[in-house]
Amino acid sequence: MENVLSILFCLSLFYLSVTSRVKAYVTVLRVQGIILTILLVIPFLSHFSVYGIIIPATMLIVKVIYIPRYINKVILDLDIKRRIEPTIQQMVFLALVIATIVIIFFASQLLSKSTPLNVIPFASGFSAIAIGIYIIMFRKKLIVHVCGFLVLENGIFLFGTSVAFELPMLIELGTLLDVFVVVFLMGIALNRISSTFEGFEVAHLGRLKD
Amino acid sequence: MIELFIFIALPVFASALCFAVKNLKVQYALSLTVAVFHLTLSVIVFLGVHQAVLPGFFSIDSLSKLFILILSNVYFWVVLVSFSYLKRPAMPKAGEGKRYYFLLLNFYLAANSAAMLSNHFGMYWVASEATTLSVAPLIYFYRNEESLEAMWKYLFLVSIGIAFAFMGILMLTLSAKGTVLEGQQLFFWEFIKNAKELNPIWLKVSFIFIFVGLSTKIGIAPMHSADIDATSNAPGPVAALMSGSLRLTALLGVMRIFQIVRFTSSYDVVRIILITGALLSLFVAFVYMFKANNFQRMLAYSSVEHLGLITLGLGIGGFAFIGAMYHAVYNSMSKVVLFIGSGNIHRAFKTREMSKISSVLNKVPKTGWLFLTAFFAISGIPPFGMFFSEIKIFEGILFSDMPYILAPVMFFLLFIFVNMGRNIFSMLYGKRENGEVHNETEPFDFSHFVSVALLILLTAIAISSPDILYQNILVIAKDFGFAL
Repeated sequence: MENVLSILFCLSLFYLSVTSRVKAYVTVLRVQGIILTILLVIPFLSHFSVYGIIIPATMLIVKVIYIPRYINKVILDLDIKRRIEPTIQQMVFLALVIATIVIIFFASQLLSKSTPLNVIPFASGFSAIAIGIYIIMFRKKLIVHVCGFLVLENGIFLFGTSVAFELPMLIELGTLLDVFVVVFLMGIALNRISSTFEGFEVAHLGRLKD
Repeated sequence: MIELFIFIALPVFASALCFAVKNLKVQYALSLTVAVFHLTLSVIVFLGVHQAVLPGFFSIDSLSKLFILILSNVYFWVVLVSFSYLKRPAMPKAGEGKRYYFLLLNFYLAANSAAMLSNHFGMYWVASEATTLSVAPLIYFYRNEESLEAMWKYLFLVSIGIAFAFMGILMLTLSAKGTVLEGQQLFFWEFIKNAKELNPIWLKVSFIFIFVGLSTKIGIAPMHSADIDATSNAPGPVAALMSGSLRLTALLGVMRIFQIVRFTSSYDVVRIILITGALLSLFVAFVYMFKANNFQRMLAYSSVEHLGLITLGLGIGGFAFIGAMYHAVYNSMSKVVLFIGSGNIHRAFKTREMSKISSVLNKVPKTGWLFLTAFFAISGIPPFGMFFSEIKIFEGILFSDMPYILAPVMFFLLFIFVNMGRNIFSMLYGKRENGEVHNETEPFDFSHFVSVALLILLTAIAISSPDILYQNILVIAKDFGFAL
């Protein structure tokens, strides 16, 4: 089950690399949030506890409901154009993504021989981290950068589940809260940027140089 | 329990109150009270009068004792000077920024204290991300384009950096697979105790991720750019906080993982990484000083230089480690004086470009003299403390297995000093062409008082060299396995 979900997660990364609509990014973030929530819920199907359901519930609220809705609101409020405006061709980007994912899967396979780890979730999480960085590097719009950052965060989360490690609940909630506030602050900053620079692209941010 | 309340809960509570109370004077009084409580407690804990026992994910060891003292010392002086700064901000547009200033400052104190007192990697991560969140809106205090850009870059790059650090923490759990630590919580001391059993490959990878990730916050080259932008565009007191304490909070995370690696076979590799990062930082600062144009940016690069020196001390070990700890103490205080002076100069000249600033000593003489003294302090001129700590670091390098490193370090430091001096002297003494110079008088205000007090404290600590500080640093060195 875990592997199926991780592969679905990986497929969402491919979709990210071919789509050129900002809205699609938000949808993908939502789907990834749902996948991560299901991953968290699975252990509780066998032995249910009210206490343990808090983190999946928070995950659902933060990553599936609140953040996508907030990003959509920012897009709507600022009237950001629908296209993502890449800096390299989509086909080249896709090739890069495929190459990266293949390499990561092979490398994880090799690594799994010396350390016991779940190859598919591990590699999927790592791929998401790489793709998140690519999105930040090869896209002009700042709002897409925020989406890239969130893909990276999701990747880290999946990676965390693959090493089968559980943080205490308080800290887990803290990490979710931190992501929540980061996105909130980034939204406010974007709002300011759009009114100060009349645009939302990286090109506007070039005042600070040595 | 009461310690945790004063160190963390009280600032959070004050932060909430600052949200409710709109009056700036009340906010100031509240924040100052919290700062005094915080400082008193950390002095008491540092002196060992009171043995603090903290519950859960928090604990105090000699390293956090020292760092929390640095934090509350810097914070206290910054809060003290903040009101006079807010009354007359360098730019008139700062009205909106004032409202949340003390709120964020209190939140900053809480987050930093939590990060410094944490004994669990997860808790440390949450708290240090919170410090980024508290300081980012403070960078945007002046509401202008530069500060907006600086805030965006800081928020974004540091968040990514911290995400990398989180990956490093996850890799640490991977390194514990198959040992007694598997499935255990990520407490520092547990890992230090069982360090030898950890998988060396994952441990190295973990260190690299944590070091690179936190470098964005410490300001170690080549990840220093966001930090420089932020420090150079923040208002003076906030820049002082960032240089004096925030960078150390991030350094603490690196030191924790370094302490684990110290007792394993990966130590040699990790040492080289630390030393390389440190030398690169010195080099970056060295290159920038030749073309410096913005004086606050120059000071930000000076922070890169000094954090580089501290990291170098960590990497070299032995005497250099002792020197690095002293350097952290002295650097924090000198930076506060420099950035407060820089805030005053910015206010007087309405610009940070050095080409447009001249005759500071005539226009704002008190600030000018204090700025000059602080420059001597930061450059390691005796009797200021930096002289002694730098000597210790040099001595450590000379008697280590890599004495040849001393040559590039000395070279970089010399040129950084010469170029910084040239720029600062032309700001202080230089005269504009066909410009008339009027000698103006400057009222003695809080910022001068704070500067004088800090400079005296700095010299007093350096000259009297309190035994308690030395003993504490020795204990830290022992915890890190550097027997002297």
